[in-house]
Amino acid sequence: MILIKKYIPLALCFLFGVLTLGSYYVPTAASENYMEAMNQWENIVAGFAFLLGLFGLFYSHYNKITRKVDGWGYSLFVYIGFFMMVIPAILSEGKIMEGTTLTSIGWGYRFIYNALASTMFSVLAFYIVSTAYRAFRIKSAQAAVLFVAALIVILGKVPLGQMLWDTTLGWTGTQVSGIVQWLMDVPVVAGRRGIMMGLAIGGIVTGLKIIFGIERQYMGRD
Amino acid sequence: MSETMMIFGGWVAAGLTIFLFSFLYKDNPFFKIAEHLFLGAGMGWVFQTVLFKTWIPKVWMPLTQAPYDFSVLIPALLGLSLVTQFFPKISWVSRYGFTFIMGYGSGLVIPLTISTDFLNQIGGTLTPFMVTSFAGNWLQLLNGSIIAVGFICVLFYFFFSVEHKGAVKKASTVGIYFLMLYFGAAFGNTVMGRFSLLYGRFDDLYKYSGGKYFYATHVILAVLVIYFIVDHFRTKKPAIEEEAA
Repeated sequence: MILIKKYIPLALCFLFGVLTLGSYYVPTAASENYMEAMNQWENIVAGFAFLLGLFGLFYSHYNKITRKVDGWGYSLFVYIGFFMMVIPAILSEGKIMEGTTLTSIGWGYRFIYNALASTMFSVLAFYIVSTAYRAFRIKSAQAAVLFVAALIVILGKVPLGQMLWDTTLGWTGTQVSGIVQWLMDVPVVAGRRGIMMGLAIGGIVTGLKIIFGIERQYMGRD
Repeated sequence: MSETMMIFGGWVAAGLTIFLFSFLYKDNPFFKIAEHLFLGAGMGWVFQTVLFKTWIPKVWMPLTQAPYDFSVLIPALLGLSLVTQFFPKISWVSRYGFTFIMGYGSGLVIPLTISTDFLNQIGGTLTPFMVTSFAGNWLQLLNGSIIAVGFICVLFYFFFSVEHKGAVKKASTVGIYFLMLYFGAAFGNTVMGRFSLLYGRFDDLYKYSGGKYFYATHVILAVLVIYFIVDHFRTKKPAIEEEAA
């Protein structure tokens, strides 16, 4: 049983990993066909993987409703929200627009999902500002650098910032947008590259560990 | 879509927007309703995307329409195996789906990471120095030098195989300053991104406050304010009674 439960899945991981890795470095017609097929397979598997999250969410809220825990009534709105999007989508076959008019799912996307999603993220603007107030108390030179960089980027992207810059530092002959551009193109690139390099090395090593079966936490416990 | 539905949509969007913003005052049932609706609607949106972009065209149609392609059954079964996670006795079956995702994903990520995040970054650092003369290129060389020095110093900061003292410590300290510049700029960009979303929501609320939408924003806002006033006095009463007791 351990063969079916453990060794065959690990062998499959190794096989798919090595074949995919090899296909990148040995570009033949066969490897291109393999990559095309695997890309299709990956899309299908990822589609079904979504069911994991969906069932998990539904199960959790179903339990809240059946056990009548505090605020269980709100859980009903998870199902209402879900069917408010899915039923119109099925009726309009997933099309958002029919010619120049909105379909029912297009309506749901524009007036329900988009309104909720963009408001939810925009609310974070207030919390970012309050967090920044606490985080940006300049206690060291490094914190000052972080603060100044953030301030310049924020000022450089709004007309008010340009006006303030022109009034106070206009005599230098520089534009705040030019300073932001230089900041983003030179010192920020240096910092980002260092982090990307670290992430790349970490990603490559983890990938190799997964292919060779050294890292197998994703398989869960026996 | 009829004009009535568009007006109704304006009321729905304005209502949901104000319900979510009401959390800035305090947690309340309207926010919780909108929050749970968002969760469900988000899942619904992804579900319909997967249904019409993956399951129907890539699984259902190859199995039911000519030219038939039964090979799609393999990834479909691998995908369905993931759902066995919910049944502890057979949850080991999900390993087949996970190992495919992990194996294929790792095989794909390794060469792409080497190419884009590793070699391209080193190439990008060296490119500014590929000039034939100093004249006319001094600014490019200066900027390139700043990037190269900053990049190496940041790498020193993350390099733990040697003790950070002496020259290594100095280099890693310079690295921290470059990291702070990056974090500051990233923070600034995030703030501005969130604020542009905020302007968008305010713009929509302004639009729905017009006569065309029967003053949806004003009406909903007024109802919510009345709710908060009533709720304030309703929840305050027991406290006074307790004090008296």
